[in-house]
Amino acid sequence: MPLLVCKNVTKRFGGLVAVDDMSFTVKHGEMMAIVGPNGAGKTTMFNLINGVFPADEGTIHFEGVDVTGFPAFKRAHLGMGRTFQIPRPFSSATVQENIAIGAMFGSAGSEISVDEAMDVADHYIGLIGLSGHRDKPAGGLTPIEKKLVEIARALAMKPKLLLMDEAMAGMNPRDIDEMVAFIKKIRETEGIAIVAMVEHIMRAVAGLAERVIVMHQGALLVDEPTKEALTDPRVIEVYLGQPAEEFDA
Amino acid sequence: MMKRTHKYFPILPVLVAYGALLGYGLFFPGKWQLVSQLAFYCTLGQAFNLFMGMTGYVDFGYVAFMGVGTYGMAISIYHLNEKGLGLSIILIGLSLAVAFSIILSLAVGAVALRLRGAYFAIATIGVNEGFRFLIEGARIWNGSEGIIFTRHMKKAFGKPAAMAIGTFWADIMMFGVAVLAAVLTLVYMRNKVGYALTALREDEDAAKVMGINVTKYKIIAFITSAALAGLLGATAWALKLQYVYPTDVFEIHYTVEAIIIVLLGGAGTLLGPIVGGLIYGISKYYLSIVLPGFQLLIFAPLIVAIIVLFPEGTVGILKKKVINTPLQKFII
Amino acid sequence: MLFEQLAGNLVQGLVLGAVYGMATMGLSLIFGVLQVVNVGHGAFIMVGAFTSLMMFQAMGIPPILAIPAAFLIGMALGMLFYFGAVKPLVSPSGSGIKKMTPKRLGAAAGMFVGLMILMWISSGFFSLNIAIYLFVGIIFLYGFALYIYGGRRQDKAPELATLLATFSCGVILEEVVKQVFTSEARGFNWDIGKIDIGITVLPYTKLVAAFGSLAIAVILYMWFNKTRAGMAMRSVVEDDVGARVCGVDVDWQYALSFSLGIGLTVTSGVLLTMFIPVGINPYMGGPYTLKAFVIAVLGGLSSPYGAFFGGVVFGLLENGSYTLFANIQGLEPFAMTRFFSFVMLLVILLIRPTGLLRAK
Repeated sequence: MPLLVCKNVTKRFGGLVAVDDMSFTVKHGEMMAIVGPNGAGKTTMFNLINGVFPADEGTIHFEGVDVTGFPAFKRAHLGMGRTFQIPRPFSSATVQENIAIGAMFGSAGSEISVDEAMDVADHYIGLIGLSGHRDKPAGGLTPIEKKLVEIARALAMKPKLLLMDEAMAGMNPRDIDEMVAFIKKIRETEGIAIVAMVEHIMRAVAGLAERVIVMHQGALLVDEPTKEALTDPRVIEVYLGQPAEEFDA
Repeated sequence: MMKRTHKYFPILPVLVAYGALLGYGLFFPGKWQLVSQLAFYCTLGQAFNLFMGMTGYVDFGYVAFMGVGTYGMAISIYHLNEKGLGLSIILIGLSLAVAFSIILSLAVGAVALRLRGAYFAIATIGVNEGFRFLIEGARIWNGSEGIIFTRHMKKAFGKPAAMAIGTFWADIMMFGVAVLAAVLTLVYMRNKVGYALTALREDEDAAKVMGINVTKYKIIAFITSAALAGLLGATAWALKLQYVYPTDVFEIHYTVEAIIIVLLGGAGTLLGPIVGGLIYGISKYYLSIVLPGFQLLIFAPLIVAIIVLFPEGTVGILKKKVINTPLQKFII
Repeated sequence: MLFEQLAGNLVQGLVLGAVYGMATMGLSLIFGVLQVVNVGHGAFIMVGAFTSLMMFQAMGIPPILAIPAAFLIGMALGMLFYFGAVKPLVSPSGSGIKKMTPKRLGAAAGMFVGLMILMWISSGFFSLNIAIYLFVGIIFLYGFALYIYGGRRQDKAPELATLLATFSCGVILEEVVKQVFTSEARGFNWDIGKIDIGITVLPYTKLVAAFGSLAIAVILYMWFNKTRAGMAMRSVVEDDVGARVCGVDVDWQYALSFSLGIGLTVTSGVLLTMFIPVGINPYMGGPYTLKAFVIAVLGGLSSPYGAFFGGVVFGLLENGSYTLFANIQGLEPFAMTRFFSFVMLLVILLIRPTGLLRAK
């Protein structure tokens, strides 16, 4: 059974069609990227999968369950985790509390107590290397630290599907490589079934994704293994604005 | 760093504060009026804080819950005074007060809590007025004539007991409500409820995505806060004053005071409402001697100042100062 | 008989509704541009009412001519409250805390002393007591603290903050007016005759009020659609980032729209006194705040024109329901009408919080 099945998902804002008849499948344990130029509808697609707002048309199935009408928190309980493009930690709560909240209300949340959630949080704090900041209010962290907390918080939810929206935004190449290594590591050690990311940064995509979906003006352009997608002329055209042949090698 | 057993330490300063206040009142009976006023404001603050402080939503119609609580007690005494039930009427009255406020809060919450920030505030502004006009307009519970039940109190409990309740035991019960409110606040803060509320207060959309059913938790906070308001109305108003008029008990003035107290002390903290209640109560008391009728003129700009410059309130600032000191365990 | 009564009341409702609608336009404008709900709305209407009262009683100026004065007073108050209470929450400068240099402290102390002396001198004309001195002192200290600490915050405050801030501004207005005018209810009588249209009698003052409201709404419409300044303001409603990119000074637009909104609200107070020239007291604003909210939600919280139409509808419904309740035994119609407007509010919030009438 596939993990996530989106069929004919469409979302309109007034006259604008932000997501246009998107259909794709994600398998358990797969690492996939959704890419596309700005305004292609990637974040909107994430919001639809996640349940931040409902789709106008189409269906979404998660592990066989029709979640199309489910509110965001229910989808989280089923196993969806999410990080945002601009990190949104709970500023007045400490780093530990932030991550513990992920553990408390995520997919395994109903079984663990507050104290156990705090222990889980400690584990992830160690993983992201912020043990010194454990009791600091999250609002006072640097953007990179906030990003790490955001990821740890999502991980603590023990998601089966982790949606990472532009996790590499604003990073320099060395940090990107570190983040790529980090994501690879958590995939192995945490048994996170799948990481789906929205990315501009091809360096990260190439390093992590097995499969790539390219969106363009809200619609699906290509859906193929990474190597093919990166050299697909349609993709190049959409990014560069003109057919590849018109460029000199 | 927090040992499991230390989780409930913060209740100690609360008990110390209320104990000291009560003790002061018992040792100096002449000051009992002031003490009961202070206790009233602290309780009001704690009850209101459970919702506004912890969720970040403002319920401008809050006093309506106190109002129906008052009616709950009033009705019990008015109608049951000749059944020979003695003091258990008070228990019935309290239960009715809680029931009324829970029912009203569920009715309001069902509509209002689905709405965000500004719309919620708008909806609640109407509750207060709306409910009062319903009572007056449909002549429910005697409409605008209210209920006066001094006579019925005397019949139910005997004259001396009725007097003692009105002048002393009602206030003691109010202290009980105060402690109950504090305990509930702490229990919520130390359990999943509290963390859910913190999350939804900070960033409601992110909270939803983290798996928090924000509506459920808003309702929990709302109902608890309303029930406490009902108890406060039943004790501090019904039992003490022994009459109830719709114009009095739905007076928006009390909601304003509740807002001032919570902001002054520190919204969302445990000790905040107590500190706020004491500061506000004492200031108001002395202002009313020196400059009667002017307290809002003084406090309204202070509120703006607090919101703009010091939104974390007194205890909020205090909390920051005691990080990494032993006091950190007690001041939250 | 009932039909005549109903028809008559509906006409009255229509006329009153125009005034109600005008009174709500400011609220909608402010919410549309700034996403701020002015919970102190009624207090500003009260200021307009007092302006009308004072100009009539002290200077013999009929309310219709008091409108420009009220508008200017409103704009001034709007600027004051915007920079003092709203801007720090909605669009903070984030430039950090200013140092308290001796020069700054000295200047502040000097201004404070000067202010106190000014007040003491003018205490010959007004009755000032210690509370007013305290009040002015607090305001001054706040202003200074805002100057020093105002840059501390970097991002927008939570919604709770602006709600409470505008509410407190309303309270401040009420209390200041109470100090100066006492809480006694006042009224005046401006009688220019009436017209009898069979089903009901309409004093000319009410007609003037209704047409005045309509005129202002039309002027506003033209201003928004035909002038550069108006279109600049509209652009901010649509997309404030986009407007910024087009060279619109968004921060100034915020200030201007807030002041315009308050100006409209104060003006509506004058129009209201043409309708109900009695019961003018510092606390009269409360019921109007609730009515304005119902109307704004009816017509679309962010559309001033929607608010106008919403007002007319509300006026009709209010008077219609009054007739209904007055004819049912055992009900007190005035209170029931107020209850009914609250029910309307809840129902609309439930089914269509963005408003039933989506006027542009």
